[in-house]
Amino acid sequence: MTTINPQRGHTLAEQVLSRIEHEQLSPRPRWRFIVKNYVFWCLGALAIVLGALAFAATLFEITNVDWHLSTATHGNLFSFFFAAAPIFWVVAFILLILIGYINVRYTDHGYRHSLLVIALVAGLVSLLLGAGIYAFGFGRAIVEIPGDHPPFYRPIFAVQQSWWLAPEKGLLGGQVVQVAPDGNSFVLSDFSDRTWEIYAGDLAARDFAVIARGGKVRIVGAPVAATSSVFHACFVFSWETYLDSAEQESKQSTVASSTYERNVTGGRSEICKGIRPYQQLRSMDEEGL
Amino acid sequence: MSADPLPRKGIDASDEEIVRRTLLDKEAFTPLIMRYEAKLARYLERLGVGLLEDREDILQNAFIKAYKNLNSFDMTLTFSSWMYRIAHNEAMSFFRRKHARPQIILSEESEMLLTELRDEHADASRLTELRLSREGLAKAFQTLPPRYRDVIALRYFEDRSYTEMSDILEVPVGTVSTLLYRAKRALREALPDIFSV
Repeated sequence: MTTINPQRGHTLAEQVLSRIEHEQLSPRPRWRFIVKNYVFWCLGALAIVLGALAFAATLFEITNVDWHLSTATHGNLFSFFFAAAPIFWVVAFILLILIGYINVRYTDHGYRHSLLVIALVAGLVSLLLGAGIYAFGFGRAIVEIPGDHPPFYRPIFAVQQSWWLAPEKGLLGGQVVQVAPDGNSFVLSDFSDRTWEIYAGDLAARDFAVIARGGKVRIVGAPVAATSSVFHACFVFSWETYLDSAEQESKQSTVASSTYERNVTGGRSEICKGIRPYQQLRSMDEEGL
Repeated sequence: MSADPLPRKGIDASDEEIVRRTLLDKEAFTPLIMRYEAKLARYLERLGVGLLEDREDILQNAFIKAYKNLNSFDMTLTFSSWMYRIAHNEAMSFFRRKHARPQIILSEESEMLLTELRDEHADASRLTELRLSREGLAKAFQTLPPRYRDVIALRYFEDRSYTEMSDILEVPVGTVSTLLYRAKRALREALPDIFSV
């Protein structure tokens, strides 16, 4: 503030009143302070609501990630955790709670509360609200809102699809398009719309049950050759995570006509026994996961 | 703020009544300025605003700011705390603007501070010696971070309660306690010859 002290020598009260007169100052209207206070409260509340959305998205990503196939896609749980952790949403949640704190801090009596208390209360409200939003099924919608726009963010379903577009690692995912009448092969359109002929001679009855249900599937196996479009399937798991019931029903009807029962109970070929982690996948397959 | 149609006049009027009156008539601000002028000037001196002219400028700005923001004065606080807060913020702005270091001059308050800092480990003879040399204490006080100086000045020189300090510095009461504890420890550490840390 520019200091004007035109009447040094006079009393302070005289100087202040003279300056009020000279600069034609008047008290700022009360409504401005009330509005400012409400704005900070509203921004704080908004940050908490957005934090709740971020938490709902976090829950959605955690519960819809391929935990049970982590050893197939990433070798160990540790590297899988870092690949699958919803860091974007967790960071967003923490930032929004901090923004909420800053806004509450600047309300009339906000300074009386410590960061810990405000962050705990705001965090708890966000967690409860976020859990509610997730429970009502809005998690997916929130995850899809940012789309591919943020440079450091990809929705978890896109991330998971990329894990299953790695035939060289024995991982393939996509839509079952057609099953051969003899049951020895089927056609798969992967997530990049590439068409694959899948050799199914090593599959067990449970794998065929998954294929019969239709829709998207994940296949663990081995490419027949590096450049070919033929893939040797060892295990088939459903892509149930992101299929809502309506989508699943429509996919089921597409494949139902070409579905048949096959009773394979014996072991798989040496190709399949060589894939990682064979025993674990086999036990999962037998449990019908 | 609830509008009281007939606020009391004169020297008996409370600060809050004068505030209400000032909103209607700026001349009513005078008793409030006179009531706090000396206290705040002393507080600014203790914060390290060494020159009289600087203190006058800061005070003038603080009262102008208070006048312009009278409608934001929260009646649940004391006017005193609110006014100290404004003066404190103005002093901090002054130090930032001028890149000035506070010039601490302690007088009779050094006694109180020494009493507070004294513990069973203090060397009584050295305490007496230091008491005779207020400059030593002022020097040590000056080495403290501004936040520590603030709480010590408010608590021991201005005799403010923890709640008032919380309102003046705009931090939670718990933070005031922590700052005060650390400030005293830092001051003892700055006087190693007197206090065994």
